[in-house]
Amino acid sequence: MMQRFLDPAVLASISSLDLLARTVVDGFVAGLHRSPDFGFSQEFAEYRAYTPGDDLRHVDWNLFARTERCYLKRYRGDTNSQLTILLDASNSMDYTSGRGKTASKMDYARFAAASLFYLAIHNQRDAAGLIVFDDEVRNYIRPSTRQGQLYRLLAGLEQAEPHARTDFAKPLLHFQNLLHRRGIVIMFSDFYEDPAAIVRTIEPLRYHGNEVVLFHVLDPKEIRPELHGPAILVDLETDQRMEVIPEYARNDYIRKIDNHIEQLRDRTRGAGMDYHLLVTDQPLDATLREYLAIRQGGR
Amino acid sequence: MGFFSPWFLVGLVGIGLPVYVHLLRRHTTPPQPFSSLMFFERGTQSSTRHRRLRYLLLFSLRAALLLLLVLAFANPFIRRAGAGASGKLLLVVVDDSFSMKAGSRFADAKQAALQVLASRPRSQRAEVMALGGRLAVLIQPIQDAGALRSAVESIPPGDSRANLGELAHGVRALVESVRMPIELHLFSDMQKTGMPANFADMELPANVSVVLHPAGKVVPNWTVESINAPAQLADPKDPKKSRVQAVIAGYGTPAASRTVSLVVNGNTIATRKVEVPADGRATVEFQPLDVPFGLNRCAIKIDSADGFPADDISVFAVKRADPERVLFVHQASDSRSPVYFGAALAAASQASFTLQSIDSEKSTDIDPSKYAFVVLSDAMALPSIFENALLQYVRGGGSVLIAAGTSAAHRARIPIFGGYSSDAHSYSRDGYAVVGETDLTHPVMNETTGKDVASNDPATNAMTAKDAAGWSDLKFYYVAGVDAPQARVIARLTDRTPLLMEKQIGEGHVLLLASGLDDLTNDFPVRPAFVPFIDRTARYLSGSDRIGSRLVDSFVPLRTAAAQAGSPAAGVEIIGPDGHRALSLTEAASAQSFQLARAGFYQIRFANGKNALIGVNPDRRESNLEPIPDDLQQLWGKSPAEPAPTRSATPDSSQEKNSHSIWWYVMLLVLVAAVAESIVASRYLGTQREEA
Repeated sequence: MMQRFLDPAVLASISSLDLLARTVVDGFVAGLHRSPDFGFSQEFAEYRAYTPGDDLRHVDWNLFARTERCYLKRYRGDTNSQLTILLDASNSMDYTSGRGKTASKMDYARFAAASLFYLAIHNQRDAAGLIVFDDEVRNYIRPSTRQGQLYRLLAGLEQAEPHARTDFAKPLLHFQNLLHRRGIVIMFSDFYEDPAAIVRTIEPLRYHGNEVVLFHVLDPKEIRPELHGPAILVDLETDQRMEVIPEYARNDYIRKIDNHIEQLRDRTRGAGMDYHLLVTDQPLDATLREYLAIRQGGR
Repeated sequence: MGFFSPWFLVGLVGIGLPVYVHLLRRHTTPPQPFSSLMFFERGTQSSTRHRRLRYLLLFSLRAALLLLLVLAFANPFIRRAGAGASGKLLLVVVDDSFSMKAGSRFADAKQAALQVLASRPRSQRAEVMALGGRLAVLIQPIQDAGALRSAVESIPPGDSRANLGELAHGVRALVESVRMPIELHLFSDMQKTGMPANFADMELPANVSVVLHPAGKVVPNWTVESINAPAQLADPKDPKKSRVQAVIAGYGTPAASRTVSLVVNGNTIATRKVEVPADGRATVEFQPLDVPFGLNRCAIKIDSADGFPADDISVFAVKRADPERVLFVHQASDSRSPVYFGAALAAASQASFTLQSIDSEKSTDIDPSKYAFVVLSDAMALPSIFENALLQYVRGGGSVLIAAGTSAAHRARIPIFGGYSSDAHSYSRDGYAVVGETDLTHPVMNETTGKDVASNDPATNAMTAKDAAGWSDLKFYYVAGVDAPQARVIARLTDRTPLLMEKQIGEGHVLLLASGLDDLTNDFPVRPAFVPFIDRTARYLSGSDRIGSRLVDSFVPLRTAAAQAGSPAAGVEIIGPDGHRALSLTEAASAQSFQLARAGFYQIRFANGKNALIGVNPDRRESNLEPIPDDLQQLWGKSPAEPAPTRSATPDSSQEKNSHSIWWYVMLLVLVAAVAESIVASRYLGTQREEA
């Protein structure tokens, strides 16, 4: 029997994000029973009268032939057909517990983002945009459905390198200024911040009518660290050094990180946002499929 | 336990290395990057817990590896109270020299040796040797009692002379090879004459204990100590040469009258009564010596009726033949050298020669093969026909004496000899030159070489010394310079100029005297040393010195090395005293020399076709049965009758402890520890890599 899901380590060996995204998405789409309303916005909703400036591609020419009136086909998804991904590119995202064995959190987030871009643009022809941030906005690609948008987005992902430390406040403020249209906002980050502060910072996006999804990307060893003896750990973002003992890592740390994840999940859901935990040793296609299935069920 | 090289123990400080690696170095853990320390808290383990040794097994192995390595270099040893009987090699040496034939000494010695072998522990290894002229190994160290017994029983009585120095030398070599203590049991009559000149030559290694088993008692003994008889006789009526003188010696004997007989070819032809003083010597003379033509087996016998009858007879060979001719080639103007040489040759007592002198210019038609040997007296310019004939004569076994006088300076090359003339040395302005060194081992220089004369005879020794001293009194005014690197130099002047040289060409010999035989270039012909020199030279060159008598264990040269390297060698035939051929076919075709191992007559036909008869007698020092003084015996070893039979310094040999090196076992442990350390370390290091 063929392996059903794709190992992140195997994905990491694919240099082209385009190919990677196609492999992931085609894989899990083909694995599902074809569904007419699967996806972000494929379901027909209504006709709307044409107004100058509308994209002629959406004109229902059959109806025009019958009635000589120009109408645009509108789908249900059209109300939130803009996908914007916020990618945390701070240094902590560069962590991996095993070089060559496990993809780093940054790579895993890149793969997931590329897959979602491919799904949105290639399969559903939605507008998609990207914001790469750490403590500043490093890159911004405006959501668009123009030709070549997918490649621009993939290039933006390629260029996103871990840098500096995370600060949600500034980029989200910037994003709010840029966001003029409602849509889906997906944020990839490891969320090493107080859950209350995170939710407080991101919550305003939800007020604008956006659908906000938080992908919490963590390495398995961040959830269950293994120390064989006293060790000196270095914080990737602050360069702070700390001597820790295995007993603490085995007990207190696990309790704290579990509590953190729990709080973040509860608070985001309490704020009307979606939360999803991505562990980098899990197959990416399986994770996305699970997410989309949950999303479909929640609709 | 101790160490042969304790200084290597300094290396034990190296054990600090694993302590550092395992205890101290663990503090410097390499930092590990982590995403965020948000959920971590600083924690430090208690000092005792933090400082405990990590990987105790690996640490132990590494420390043990270093410790064992240092120990191996320090070469540890343990003292094992061991040297018990089974830890020693039992060395049984039976003296089979000629003196052991006296009475029942030899049988008693073998019986005692068998008893010692029978009483040894079954696990103890033993070796059997026979001490004669040399130390013969009869059986290598084994435990098989039957083989050891057979080895002892197979020792035949010999005719050689025992030498305790040879024994000590052999035992020292054995100690080097067996590397274990040796218990030496010597079954011998412990003759005083068997001691080497230097007592230090008898010194034995410290781990050799000696047990002496003296055999036999001292008995009065008369013997024929020496014989002076002509090897070659031409005229039995010549009162000067036709006579036999024998010295009868008594050892530990009272004054007595002894009957001495001269036996020729088995027939007693004369008998004499001689009064031998107490513990002294007497000379008896038989005259004339009437022997038939040919090779005659002669003997002098005494009716001693003592406890050692084997030494009551002494054999010698006499060849009766017409006088051999000697060709003397000289220059026409030289009338002195034939006179001097002829007079010396006539005065020589051991052989008969007729001198035929001839002018070198008239030698063209002469056939040298008709002569016993040829003398070239300052005759450097020879007719080429004669020179070629002479060369063929030498290659076929003939001999030549060349005296290079003043005419050699005018010739670039010495005929026959082949050496090149260099600058002549004229000493007349400064006076004269004298002989600086002589090779007394050469037959023309030493009367006693291989002859039947006991060297403990003071008179003979004095004669030999006188002969040698006679050479040092000679005055040489002119000596030809001869460059002959392949020649053996027999005598040199004080300025290292070669005076007397010998060269072997084919089967023959060429002697070169780098001065004349007249009294112009030296005063040799008018000195007393001249006649003995001419006598010995004539007998050596004519080969008549091969007839007569020799000592047991002396060697007879059979062929020259040059002849062997050349064309296919002619066979040599030797008939021993027992009437059997002494050489195998291979040995007869290739042997260069032969050792006369038994007493009696040896009949030899040499490669050049000449026959010889040699009477071989045991060394007469064996007839002196006086043992080594007790104090010397105690100094070297101790008699078995004594309570402490060994020469060991410790009173009880069973308590003797020996040092046994155990570095080999330590090295094995090092190997085991290294392998174990590799296995354990690879496991731990794999874990560390995962941590990193």
